Amino acid sequence: MLEIKNLTKIYDDGTVALKNVSFVVNEGEFLVIIGLSGSGKSTLLRCINRLIEPTEGKIIWNGKDITHIKGEELRCVRREIGMVFQHFNLVHRSSVLKNVMAGRLGYTKAFPSILSKFSEADRKKAMQVIDRLEIEDQIHKRADELSGGQQQRVGIARALMQDPKMILADEPVASLDPVLAHSILSNLEKLNQEDKMTVICSLHYLDLVQRYASRVIGLREGTIVYEGTKSDIRKMTDAQFKEIYGQEAERVGGDLEGTPAV
Amino acid sequence: MGKRKMNKQNLKAKEPQKPSFVPPFISSLLSMVIPGLGQILARAYSRGFIILASFFSIGGLLAWRIYQKGRRYKEIQTMVEKAFDLSPILLVITILFVLLYIWIIIDAYFAAKKSNRGSRSYGSGLMFFLLAVFFLLGWQIGDINIGEFFSQAGTALPTIGRLMWPWEKAIDRPEEIQIISARVLSPCQEQQIPQNEALEEEPYIIVSPTCGSPTEIDGTSGTEFAIVGGNFNTDQEIEIWWKDPNGNEFRQRQAGEYVKVTPDDEGNFQIAIIMPYRIISSTIEEKNLIWEVQARQLLSVGEAQLSAEFTLAVEKMIETIIIGMMATLFGVILSIPISFLAARNLMSENFFTKTVYYFVRTILNIVRSIEPLIWAIIATIVVGLGPFAGIIALTVHSIAALAKMYSEAIESIDQGPIEAIQATGANWTQTIVYAVIPQIIPPFVSFTIYRWDINIRMSTVIGFVGGGGIGFLLQQWIRLLDYRAAGIAVWFIAITVMILDYVSAEIREKYK
Repeated sequence: MLEIKNLTKIYDDGTVALKNVSFVVNEGEFLVIIGLSGSGKSTLLRCINRLIEPTEGKIIWNGKDITHIKGEELRCVRREIGMVFQHFNLVHRSSVLKNVMAGRLGYTKAFPSILSKFSEADRKKAMQVIDRLEIEDQIHKRADELSGGQQQRVGIARALMQDPKMILADEPVASLDPVLAHSILSNLEKLNQEDKMTVICSLHYLDLVQRYASRVIGLREGTIVYEGTKSDIRKMTDAQFKEIYGQEAERVGGDLEGTPAV
Repeated sequence: MGKRKMNKQNLKAKEPQKPSFVPPFISSLLSMVIPGLGQILARAYSRGFIILASFFSIGGLLAWRIYQKGRRYKEIQTMVEKAFDLSPILLVITILFVLLYIWIIIDAYFAAKKSNRGSRSYGSGLMFFLLAVFFLLGWQIGDINIGEFFSQAGTALPTIGRLMWPWEKAIDRPEEIQIISARVLSPCQEQQIPQNEALEEEPYIIVSPTCGSPTEIDGTSGTEFAIVGGNFNTDQEIEIWWKDPNGNEFRQRQAGEYVKVTPDDEGNFQIAIIMPYRIISSTIEEKNLIWEVQARQLLSVGEAQLSAEFTLAVEKMIETIIIGMMATLFGVILSIPISFLAARNLMSENFFTKTVYYFVRTILNIVRSIEPLIWAIIATIVVGLGPFAGIIALTVHSIAALAKMYSEAIESIDQGPIEAIQATGANWTQTIVYAVIPQIIPPFVSFTIYRWDINIRMSTVIGFVGGGGIGFLLQQWIRLLDYRAAGIAVWFIAITVMILDYVSAEIREKYK
């Protein structure tokens, strides 16, 4: 479904964020990317939907090279890929409904959208999505009046409005407490399993990775240092763990099968 | 240079001080020649430089003030004596200045001694003394006279009272002079004229006798008339006038004073007057020498109404508010495009945009640093006195101030929502409408209201330099010493500003 070939990103200030990264994502996967802050997770996710322009390499989406597409073409690709953010990135002063409707912008012409004129079908769809994520009581509130977990649900609802084939989630639970983290991730899991959406998600906590990931990629200083399946990560050794998280890192996930906590 | 830098680092690290360059005695001697030099050479650098700079500036200021006071005298000694005479505080400062000099010399000795011992703590007494002398000099230069403030406050009170409570001037009562008259014949003839009679309801006067002769030019006193009046208003004085046979009216004077009488509680009065001296035109026929005695009283008639000053103040206050509003409107319209040019995040694309950014910022800073009052003076040169000049002045200043605030709001927008909206496949216009505008509207509204508030405040004083509005009126009334009218203007300004303060705070609170 998605193929990343030799992707490299060097920022204007000379920081090398990604070095020659290649991997393939198959339909229906729940791919988790792990790695320290600054290891290039966010850059990688943003390169996929071209919020960040890669320096070198190719991004192939459903057999089509989207590395250099522009304008209407890029717009059509972007609307197939939903994105969820660590800090939710809602427009604080707008209502929940307006934030959710914004997910439909990729399908709406500029002029009607400026006047907030969305089709009846879009409105119905919004209500369905809102019902599904259980935020129907909040729709007329301002986004910044909501709790963190509710805000992230609005973020997911916005992504769902795009009818996405894939969802990119950039540390979606890093700003939430563990209970909410599970609730948000199980929302994503449902989308993955029931709606067959492909999910690429970056995470920090190993226990969450073990619980939700169908496949794991480990990034360190912009290169892939680990790749493994669900069963692989359950058997992950300290050496591999330290390879990703650095020598000084300690495992935060607690006991893992076969290996005692450090 | 390098050595000093090192020494500074030593100070910071609180390491022991290196020994003084010169022995204490020499240090003292050096400070005697140039105050502060001894301290500098004793490695108390900052202390030395402060002493050096303050000593010479105090000395210079003191010399200037003495010259100012005694400049009419050529000889220096008389000049100084006269100056001390006129302003005794200068003598005190001079004595303190000499003491300061001595203290500095002693201080240099101890500074060197302490440096040799490795200590770097010097007393702060000298520094306080320096400051004290400085502020005492400031007292003299500032012409501060607390005594005058309190002694003059008493005499200023009535004026201040008029300014603080001007409302008597706000209401006009239409008034009319009521004239009640009685006829008198002069000189006396056989044929008498009838005496007036007391009336029941209306005011009346009765003059007796009904004939007499005026005072002669040689000083022979005229006939004394007794006037009895009734049914007058009790709260107003009555003036006595005459109408001579020529038809000319004049006031009765007695012993140099105009004759006035206040009626009693029933509205009755009694007064005796002497018929005054008057040249009567010869064309008047002898037979008709009828004079008229008049009792005149000021009566208020009709409803009380707002005074001309009050209505003028209202009109000008409206004009003032309009000046502020128009200036804000123009300021907002013109500053929005400029603010985009002055936002760093939008203008850091390439060298050209960066140049524009710095150029716009510099211009804005210059324009903002010039007060609206100065802009108003410039505007009056161009468009003449009046509200338009005020609008121009406030607009110019508003553009500069608002563009800066707006551009800072643009600079501080959160990139997150922009990224998120872009990720949905939104195009440029949609991203601006959905992610940028919702973020900049609240600060824009808040800054605009704040500016509106400032502009209306400023428009109340912009009239002082000819920019129209109530300030112009206020300044005129103050110059005419019409403190009541000025007080009305002051009250209007205060009320408007208070209301504005509240409203603007409320609105801004909503848009936080």
